[in-house]
Amino acid sequence: MSRKINTPFGVIRIERRAAYPRHIAVLTTLLAVLLAFLAVAIILVLIGIDFTAAFTLIVESFTKPELMLNSVKQAIPICLSALGLGIAFKMNFWNIGAEGQIYVGMIASTGVVLLHAYYGLFDEHVLLPLMFLTSFALGGLWCLLPAFLKAKMNVNEILTTLMLNYVAILLVDYLIHGPWRDPGGYGFPLSIKFPDYAKLLFLFGDTAYTGLLMAILGAAAAYLIMDHSKLGFEIKVVGQNLNVARYSGIDVSKVIMFGAFIAGGLAGIGGLSIVSGIIGRLRPRASPGYGYTAIIVAALAGLNPWLIVLASIFFGGLLTAGDVLQASMNIPKTVIQMMQAIIFLFILMGEVFKRYRIVFEGKSGGDMP
Amino acid sequence: MCAEKISRREFLGVARGAAIGGIVAAGALGAIAGYLGGSAAAPAKTTTVTSTVTSKVTSTVTAAAKPLKVGYVYVGPVGDYGWSYGHDRGRRWADERFGAGVESFYIESVPEAEVGGAIESLVARGANLIFTTSFGYMDATAEYAEKYPDVYFVHISGYRSGAAGNAPENMSAAFAEFYQLYFLNGLAAGAVTETGVIGYVGAYPIPEVVRHINAFVLGANYSYKKKTGKNIKAHVNWIFSWVAPDKARSAAVALVEEKNCDVLAFTEDTPAVLQVAEEYQKKGKRVWGFSHYSDMREYGPTAHLTGQIANWGPIYLEFYKMVATNSWVSMDIWTRIGDYMPYRWRKKVGESTAGQPEGTVFLAPAEPGHPQRVAARDQEALRRHERAPVRAFQRRWEPRRAHTRPGRRGQDQGR
Repeated sequence: MSRKINTPFGVIRIERRAAYPRHIAVLTTLLAVLLAFLAVAIILVLIGIDFTAAFTLIVESFTKPELMLNSVKQAIPICLSALGLGIAFKMNFWNIGAEGQIYVGMIASTGVVLLHAYYGLFDEHVLLPLMFLTSFALGGLWCLLPAFLKAKMNVNEILTTLMLNYVAILLVDYLIHGPWRDPGGYGFPLSIKFPDYAKLLFLFGDTAYTGLLMAILGAAAAYLIMDHSKLGFEIKVVGQNLNVARYSGIDVSKVIMFGAFIAGGLAGIGGLSIVSGIIGRLRPRASPGYGYTAIIVAALAGLNPWLIVLASIFFGGLLTAGDVLQASMNIPKTVIQMMQAIIFLFILMGEVFKRYRIVFEGKSGGDMP
Repeated sequence: MCAEKISRREFLGVARGAAIGGIVAAGALGAIAGYLGGSAAAPAKTTTVTSTVTSKVTSTVTAAAKPLKVGYVYVGPVGDYGWSYGHDRGRRWADERFGAGVESFYIESVPEAEVGGAIESLVARGANLIFTTSFGYMDATAEYAEKYPDVYFVHISGYRSGAAGNAPENMSAAFAEFYQLYFLNGLAAGAVTETGVIGYVGAYPIPEVVRHINAFVLGANYSYKKKTGKNIKAHVNWIFSWVAPDKARSAAVALVEEKNCDVLAFTEDTPAVLQVAEEYQKKGKRVWGFSHYSDMREYGPTAHLTGQIANWGPIYLEFYKMVATNSWVSMDIWTRIGDYMPYRWRKKVGESTAGQPEGTVFLAPAEPGHPQRVAARDQEALRRHERAPVRAFQRRWEPRRAHTRPGRRGQDQGR
């Protein structure tokens, strides 16, 4: 498959690579990052900001342990949602609803904590496992609804998942302004504070380490499902060719629903990591768009679970680096957001070059009119 | 723990300030309400209270050896022209008054779930005093105050400070409170409304905003009832966001178009609602708005009535002083009209600071507003008295004492 573009300088041909070896893929990404920083440097020079100092600070924010741990903490919800998206996107199920699934995950885990705190249900030791289970289940169910509609009635899942986000966000608003409001919180829309045994502190007493473990376990699970299970194989077939899947006897609607359930469940656990790890209680608008960020991260990592872990930590690091740059050099937030966007744009463009080869043909060559 | 906290707040609310604040407010609003009642109100004196605090600060600070590095976390961009802009103005004010020996820096537009990274970055920069300026930062601020006992933290608009507030001793809370000003603004709203319907664009249904809406509607009903004998109608549109000019705009337009509101107050961090009012004014429809946290007159030259302004500077300066002189006390500061700083709670009615840019909260300048009804002579007076807004405010209203008959004002509105 190739496409030709006529330019005044000659013909440019874009053709799909038959295969791309791993070392070329890695080199492309590195080159993309390098070029991105070059572009950022040019812009910083134009604005009049000392780019060497800025880059030193960026490197520092990736090497200072305190800052790095914070980046990891920030990356957990993004990472878990992106792992789920990696599965959904593999079967061409375009789940834009990770944000909503994060929110219902928060609802589920907070609900369990409130049942424990208000009614004395559940033992302290089973509380956290139960929170994991319920947030996975509810997040999964939230994604299962659009998947069901897609599988049975061919309803466009991009629209349904996106719209369910608002439902979930408003549901949290209702609960937190209403029945779940902390009676001792002076009327502020907050739930009660989670007790320590309901927080993600079980590894070295630190959310960052616990979250890292969760991310690695999540990636391992996603990897096992996708590469070493029948479901993973079926998901891939469904994603690559629906007709082939049908002819080979795969129950397409079942695969879509299973895959979507797992995807939503992982995002739900992402929600748990926000209320139970980062904030420590439920509050309205607790996720600043992590479900959408996860889409970028999943795309950056090429849907590979292990790369998703790295990419989300890289993203968390860039968030922290942005704060460091603001604090230390008084660079406006807008410039920082622009820098982050440039870096991602370059890496995403690198993805194109991994899949396609660009061939320049002279003016004489080819079938020019 | 909770009971203790409530009693503390009650102490602040009742014992320290409410009565005094009420008297002071009454003095200022008397100037406005007097016109409606037809009686000559006691004019609020505009005596300039020269501050001795400044000189005290500079003298104590020169002795301090500790270099002061202050970090701020803002919820919106410093260019929002409202809340975060107000805090940044306070930061610069405090830096200027404190003089040499202080270095301040800030991180803007920090989502409430990501405040941890911002605080870590400020600590990494070497900050020894950190202000976090959004309610959503409260728990994280307490958490990091525990993690960094050598750094002092001040959280704005929350209720956790010191042991009494279930927080470490190196954490204080502060707020510049507006409900008195909202009552005064309500008086103005009730006086100018022709439809008898006022609107409010609210950020979140949290105590602070609910309090402000109640005060605003009470004030508006008071003056509207004086004028017409009827009760005023009020509508609230919630936008569930602090910084969302787009949502604030559509909420304001809905209030005007669907509910027939012609005075719009708001709690949102940008001038979007005032801009909507200004657009209606340009189209010939009388819709009025207010300033919120910062002076927004330039966004509504014809629609601007007055508003609520906060100068956070004196509060910040107070904490600068404490850290620089190693005299930190964990406290919960709640300033209202007439409260300069904790040391200046009680001012005489005659020394009201309601309309002056002194203290921490005050009315926005009340000009130009209501242009048709301001005679050229008064316009002159306004310009002359630009620097004394209270008196200018009075001047603008005084000539209208002639029209005190109920109903009369309604008739010649908009001509």
